[in-house]
Amino acid sequence: MIQSLLIANRGEIAVRIIRTCREMGIRTVVAHSQADTDSLPVRMADEHVCIGPAPARESYLNVRNLVTAGVLSGCDALHPGVGFLAENSGFARAVQEAGLIFVGPEPDVIDLLGDKIRAKKSAKDLGIPVIPGTAGSVSDAKEALRAAESFGFPVIVKAAAGGGGKGMRVVRAPAELADVLAVASHEAEKAFADGTVYMEKYLEDPRHVEIQIVADGKGDVVHLGERDCTVQQNHQKLIEESPSPVVTPGLRSKMGEDAVRLLRGLGYTGAGTVEFLVKDGAHYFMEVNARVQVEHPVSEMVTGVDIIRQQILAASGESLEIRQADVKLGSYAVEARINARSAGRVAQFLSPGGYGVRMDTFLYAGYNVPPWYDHLVAKLIVTGKNRAEGLNRLARALGELVIEGIVTNIESQKKIVAHPRFRKGDYGTGFLAEIMKEGAL
Amino acid sequence: MELKELYALMERFEKSGLSEIVYKKDGEEVTLKKGSTFVLPTAQAMPMPAMPVPGAHPAPAGAASDAPARHAADTEFVRAPLVGTFYRAPAPDAPPFVEKGDTVRKGKPLCILEAMKLMNEFQAEFDLEVVAILVDNGKMVEFGTPLFEVRRV
Repeated sequence: MIQSLLIANRGEIAVRIIRTCREMGIRTVVAHSQADTDSLPVRMADEHVCIGPAPARESYLNVRNLVTAGVLSGCDALHPGVGFLAENSGFARAVQEAGLIFVGPEPDVIDLLGDKIRAKKSAKDLGIPVIPGTAGSVSDAKEALRAAESFGFPVIVKAAAGGGGKGMRVVRAPAELADVLAVASHEAEKAFADGTVYMEKYLEDPRHVEIQIVADGKGDVVHLGERDCTVQQNHQKLIEESPSPVVTPGLRSKMGEDAVRLLRGLGYTGAGTVEFLVKDGAHYFMEVNARVQVEHPVSEMVTGVDIIRQQILAASGESLEIRQADVKLGSYAVEARINARSAGRVAQFLSPGGYGVRMDTFLYAGYNVPPWYDHLVAKLIVTGKNRAEGLNRLARALGELVIEGIVTNIESQKKIVAHPRFRKGDYGTGFLAEIMKEGAL
Repeated sequence: MELKELYALMERFEKSGLSEIVYKKDGEEVTLKKGSTFVLPTAQAMPMPAMPVPGAHPAPAGAASDAPARHAADTEFVRAPLVGTFYRAPAPDAPPFVEKGDTVRKGKPLCILEAMKLMNEFQAEFDLEVVAILVDNGKMVEFGTPLFEVRRV
């Protein structure tokens, strides 16, 4: 078993990992930048090591300092958290070469899943439905046009190394295709140092539904049901729920089986998410997030499985504590992300409480939210017997939450939760843009 | 400023009719405001109430925690630019690069920081006198740990 864990991350995910480690009797060392000296994870961890100045490039992305901090502070493992270096195979290799356990999949698996073209091909080879598209990269405009006409406009051009919407372009008319290919490739080159792009059919206003996986790396792979993350702004998820209002029991078992088959086929270790688009009752593989995700608590609250704990067990070479037959779905959970729209000192902070409420945050009254990092400051998760009860509880809990001193999206989240279309569950990924246009936000 | 002094200041301020006080001493500055329960430090990190977390203690993993956080008015710190192991000499049986009281010319080595099996030699960025060596040989240092107290010459 892992005895001592370096946490190469910050904010709420660092707090989240420390909590499980403390319950498991694992010593925690938090690596932090100079801007995070007063942060909650630094205060909570058993030990802490400053690994660089405020800019992430010199601290949370500084492979040498992170690995050295892990070795010199006597850790036997490193948890990358989410974001930063969590899906960087070079980092995972450096961690392993230094003799530490990397809490995540093997570097070769990270490499494969990070290449969207190879990942899609792996899924297709295993008989998992994928969005119709080019089998590999596209560069020739004429060839691209022929392909686009075979599966029909609109099409989307994506960066092979992509993520976060960069290098992604929708093309509705054949005449635009050649120009868009060039622009997307240039954008991908700038963002990811790799101009390779591919093309697939663009699904209008689909649902974003993902399957949570835990795997022990020895062939045991269990899925914890789905999360519906359709409420997004510019590809940034804002509200995540489980079960999805559009997933039937039949579709759920198909998606679950597909996700398990894919990650078992890859020899996957730890926590991962297989993302699908769902349109008209059919699911299409999109990509795998080879790490724990921000919205993992939703699945934890539905299934009662501590995902971070399973990750640590798997990384230690132990077995998972759960079998597929024991996974109980049926109750409801939803998460609202609380994002800061300004940095600064939190003058007042009151966390909601009561029955069915969980708050994952690193805020405290008096804390200075630094301007350097991700804007996520809290995750409010609530449970309910069903969606209606859960959403009423979320509205109630959002009403109790007080964060003063910084600007947040609490009010906007309240409006989304109260919106009749959200309550009905009848929308696609364009929902947020549409209601913003209506002036509802 | 000692925490004790700060708490005493807060207590007196609380009882006073003042709405704001700025207190300066030895280059440190503390501002207290009424209607706010917080201290806005400028020279030092904000004092935190201890978290009631079992097993938690505030010491950094490195041995550098006992290094002094302040230097004299006419001196300055040379700080670790990376996380690593601090070595005073180029080899275990070699004499240290510098001793307390030595004058070191710009560009001459001060110490080695080992990180990921690489020996990184660190040189003086200006002509200096070594006033104090703040870290023991072979100890871990964090980013920003004061290694030497020096005086420009």
